[in-house]
Formats: sequence, structure tokens, C-alpha cells
Amino acid sequence: MRSDNYLLKFFLIAYLIVFFGYLLGPLIVMSVTAFNSPGFPRMTPWECLTFEWFDVLAKDDRIIEGIKNSFIIGIGTVILSVVMGLAGALVLTQIWPKLRATYYTIVIAPILIPGVVLGISTLVFWDRINIMLGFTSESLFNNGIFLTILGQSTFIASYCMLVFIARLQRFDTDLTEAALDLGATNVQAFRKITLPFMKPAIGSAAVLAFLASFENYNTTTFTFGKFPTLTIELAQKVRYGINPSISALAFIIIVLTLIGALAYEIYRRRQQLALANGAPVAAVSGGSFQLPKIFRGNPAAVIMVLLALGGFSTIWFAQSYSPAQCKVDVRTQKQIIQQQRIQEIRQQRLEQQQQKSRQGPDIFGGKKTAPATGTVPQSPGKGSFGNIFAPKNLEKTGPKGEKTD
Amino acid sequence: MTQIVRDYFEKNGMGLGIFLLVAVGFWVIILIVLPQLSMLDFSFRHHLPPPEMGGPKDTYTIEHYKYLVLGAPGADTSYNVVDLGVFGRTLIAALFVTILDLVLCYPLAYYLGQSKGGGFVRVLVLLLIIPYWINEILRAFAFRIIFGESGLINEVLLTIGLIGNPIDFIRANVALYAGLGYAYILLMIFPIYNVIESLDRNQIEAARDMGAPWWRIHWRVVIPYAKPGISSGCTMVFMLSAGALAAPQILGGPSSLWFTQIIYQWFNQGGNWPRGAAFAIVLLVTCIIIVLSMMRLFKVKIGDIGK
Repeated sequence: MRSDNYLLKFFLIAYLIVFFGYLLGPLIVMSVTAFNSPGFPRMTPWECLTFEWFDVLAKDDRIIEGIKNSFIIGIGTVILSVVMGLAGALVLTQIWPKLRATYYTIVIAPILIPGVVLGISTLVFWDRINIMLGFTSESLFNNGIFLTILGQSTFIASYCMLVFIARLQRFDTDLTEAALDLGATNVQAFRKITLPFMKPAIGSAAVLAFLASFENYNTTTFTFGKFPTLTIELAQKVRYGINPSISALAFIIIVLTLIGALAYEIYRRRQQLALANGAPVAAVSGGSFQLPKIFRGNPAAVIMVLLALGGFSTIWFAQSYSPAQCKVDVRTQKQIIQQQRIQEIRQQRLEQQQQKSRQGPDIFGGKKTAPATGTVPQSPGKGSFGNIFAPKNLEKTGPKGEKTD
Repeated sequence: MTQIVRDYFEKNGMGLGIFLLVAVGFWVIILIVLPQLSMLDFSFRHHLPPPEMGGPKDTYTIEHYKYLVLGAPGADTSYNVVDLGVFGRTLIAALFVTILDLVLCYPLAYYLGQSKGGGFVRVLVLLLIIPYWINEILRAFAFRIIFGESGLINEVLLTIGLIGNPIDFIRANVALYAGLGYAYILLMIFPIYNVIESLDRNQIEAARDMGAPWWRIHWRVVIPYAKPGISSGCTMVFMLSAGALAAPQILGGPSSLWFTQIIYQWFNQGGNWPRGAAFAIVLLVTCIIIVLSMMRLFKVKIGDIGK
């Protein structure tokens, strides 16, 4: 029984390692490539530690413009989808029971409809309205930002609604009724009771909506018009020629995500701690005396501080560090290797020529061995030339040759 | 009926009641229903330049659907082998990705759901969520770095000496499946996890006490209980991977297209919008039919999705 347990534990750990390796490995590899000097993002062979890709990224106007568009669209989407999602959830609680299932199916459907279809339908619909009303192609209905906000909100509002429904399930409707009995108007009851209760849900729905909008590709790719978002720009870059500045961007996003996740974790810990002590959150989060105590029960805070320290020291290091010398070294090394390779190729060619001149008379001479000679000259030729011009060889010399120029 | 309307306005007040109706009406009618209907209508129209739209030539036609099934008129094959083949391959590949994710995620969802929620589990959940917030394009990009011809895996295998020449993972679609499976892992794990979390541990204990082996416990107790979660996860992963565009564009091999890529081409390079709309309708309807029949098969309701 006990050995069985150990075996189980072993399998569990192995599985967890494989699973999280699959989950996090790609992100780690991508982050590492941001610091390697070759022009194509790669982890091996490691050449020089460099920060130049961050400079390249910061000087990329299209990326900067994309981030700006993403923010505008993100904010519009958050406002629209939080309002619609909240209204949708409130209506769901009081809709006529017979209509309820149909209504729920309709408002949940945008999550299941492929994003491509949503983008196309938004584009087609507003384009036809535009033509029907006789507007020019410069009108609002053809504006990329307008279309993208509408297209994204269609399904992001469903996400928001799910968040609100989960929160509303714990809502005590007696509270609203009590307020109404005490003479509050409906709007007052909504503002003073329903909204404050929904506040945390509104916050998380807004964050969710913004992130979903920021990273959306499928819908946006049909609707963006003249306002490409960051995701669209990234996709263009990744499809047509990639360089490690994208890895640098990915690294920044990963670090920001990590910080966000840790901040959230710290916040939750503090709340739990407050709950356990029966004290309000403010009391626990207070002055500097309690700071060490927070750290003790809070690994997330410790990691956060370490991360910040690491970040600062990296920035300091990047200011003083220059990979120029290392690059020169790598270049000379590559040159040496290339020289060697050229030598080898020359040698091979020479040998081949010699072989050919030796075989020459043999082919013309011996007619008895015709079937054999028919195949013989072909196969060595294939072997030796093929080795030189094999795609792998060409590729290995190709980019390096460019580099040395 | 009027009673219901009166009750509604009495409960919410005039201003708020109207506001809710307007917001929901805008969402349901203007954003969800009308665009879909408009696309459906559009897919039955001829491909015309904008000035001729609404003119006498603007009649209904099924030429775009015909094109998908039969191919261009005068083609050498009697069926549109290319597009239909891509369509079938997309659905099969999406199914494959769904199964891959299910197999990969079920053990972890079970483990997370049955553990008592210590710090370790919280860290695992946090680690699960982090990749999800990284841009879809960047995730695909990461897989390209790993699976590329001079990517990490090829370099490592070459260095160890397991292979002589780099393997073309992109052409073999390995990178595509890995990337797609990766993109939707979270959508599989959380629905299953949420359901298993509410499973009474005593049921498992009871089954174990009665001498059931572990696989029978899963087969007879855990999986039937987790069915709503499993089917909701599978539905989402299937729909999203069949409708994925970014991952196939970045990770797909040169010879293998995804159906969404064909739609994209009709819109962006081909410039034939009605045909693209028709193809999109076909994709949408097929996906809905597959999902509904799966739900019927496993006796799950639509209300369970998104819980």
C-alpha cells in the first residue's frame, strides 16, 4: 500500500512537471531570446547578452501607435461591455421565466461563436447600413475604432455578464425592497444598494474586459480598418519576418502580468489575514511596524520585493553594460568557422574533380558493365554535391555570411 | 403579458427600467442578432461593386455555397476538393486538439479540485492563469521559436545527436497542434475544476472502501459527476480552435490551411465579401450542429456552459 502511494506521488510530480513545463516553458524560452544577440530569436547557440532589442522596440513607431490604438479601443470596450453585461445580468434575474432559457442562449452565444464570424458580421452589417444610409466611406460606421469596439463588446459583454451573474447569485433582494419600503426611489436604491454590492464584480469585469480587448485578434483583424491595434501589429511582424524585439515586448508583458498577479495575491492574503483577525483590512495593512509580519505570512510579497530588486539591478546593469566586445569576438569566431568551411568545400571539390578525371575513361571504356556504370556516376555525384548544397548547409552559411559583411 | 411589463417597471422604476431595456436591446438586437442575420443575407447575394448594391442585379443566389461544394464552374474536379478538404481537416484537427486538452487537463483539474486548497494549490492556479494573459500572438510566436527549423528542440536534438537533420515541425503541424492546445488549456481546466471541487469526497472514499480500483472510481463516480464541466470545456475548446485564426497563420505549415484562413483570404486578398460570409456561415452552422449533437449525446444543457 505504501509503495503504491509513493508510486502515485512520483507520477503526480512527473505529471505536474510536464504540465507546467508545457505551460511555462514557451514563455521562459521567449523571454530568454530577448537577451540574445542574434537577429533571429533563438536560445541556442547563446552568443552575447544584449539589451539592444529593448531599444529597437522603443524606437518602433508602429508598435507605439498600436499600443495607443489598443488603449483607446480597450477603454471604449470596457465601458460598453460592462454596462451591457450588467444590464444583461440584471434583466436575466427578472425576465419572464419562459423566455429565460432563450434569452440566456442568445446572450451566451457570442462566447461560442468564432471570433472570425463576429468580426465579419460586424463589418458586413455596418458596411451595409452605411451604404443604405448613403454615407461616404469616411463615415463613423466605417471607422476602425468604432467597429472594433462594437465587435469586441459583442462577446466581451458576455464575459462580463457571467461575472455579474456569479455575484448577483449572492445578492439579497430583500435589501432593495427594504430600501424601497423606506421611501427610496428606484434609482436611489440602485445607486446605494445594488451598485455598491456589485462594485468588486464591476472592477474584475472591467479588468477582464480590458485584457480580453487588448489581446483580441480574431475579431479585430476584420474590423480595425486604419487603426491597427498592438495585437494586429504583432501579428504582421510575426508573420513577415521576426526579430527579438518581439521577444523583448513579450518579456515586458510577462513581467507586468507577473507583477499584476502578485499584487492581486498580496491583496487577497491581506484580506484573508484581516478576516482571520476579525479586523478591517486597513488595520492590517497599516504602518511600518506590521510590515515584517505581512512578509512572514505572504510569500507573494517577498517575491514581489525580490522581483523589484532584480528589476532595478538589471536596469542599472544595462546602463553600464555593453555587448560590443562580445559581439566582435563572436564575429571573428564565425569568420574562422566559415573560412574552415570554405576550405573544406574547396578540398571536396578538388577531390571530386580528381575522382571524375580518374573515372572518366572507365565510363566510356567498359561497355560490358553498362547497367552498373549507369548508376555509379550518379550516386557519388549526389552524395558529394548534395552534402555541400544540402539546405541545411546553405542555411548555416547563409545568415552568417550576411552577418560578417 | 401587460402585467409582467407593469411589474417590471414598478420594480425598477421608469428611468432605470428603460435604461436596462435599451442597453440589453442594443446588445442583443444591434450587436448580436442583426449582424448575424445581415451576414446570412449577405452570403446569398452576388459579388457586386458598391454602386450596384441594391440595384436590379442585387438578387439572391446560392452561388457561393455552390462554390464551396462544387468548386468554380468549369473546374476539372466535380467537387471543390481543396476547400472541402481544408474544412474537414480543420474540424478533425479541432477535435484532436480538444481531446488532447481534455486528456492533459483532467488529471490536474481533479487534483486541484480534490486538494484542500493549500498555498501550493494557490500557486499552481496562479501559474495557470499567467500564460492566459499573454497575448495570443506572442504565445504562438513562442512556439515558433521552440519548434522552428533552428529552434530550441531541433538544436537540442542535433546537439545530443538523436537526429542528423532538423525536423520540420512546422510542416508536420506539430507546432500548430501544440500551440492551439496551449492556447485553450485554461478553458478546459477551469470548468472541470469548478465541478470537481463541489464533488463530495465521501463518495470517492465510499467507492474506495468498497474496493473499487482507481480507474473505476473515475469512470463511475468522478467523470459522471464532472460531465457538465467536461462538456462545457470541450465545447469551448472545440469552437475556439475550429475558429482560431492567429495560431494557424503563424504556426501552420505552408501546405496546410485552416478554414478560417480561407475566409480571411476571401475578405482581405480575394475581396469577395459575400463568398467569405457564406463560408463563415458554413463554419458557424457546422460548429453549432456539432456542439448541439454532442450536448444531446452527453445530455448536457446549454445553461451549464459558462458556469
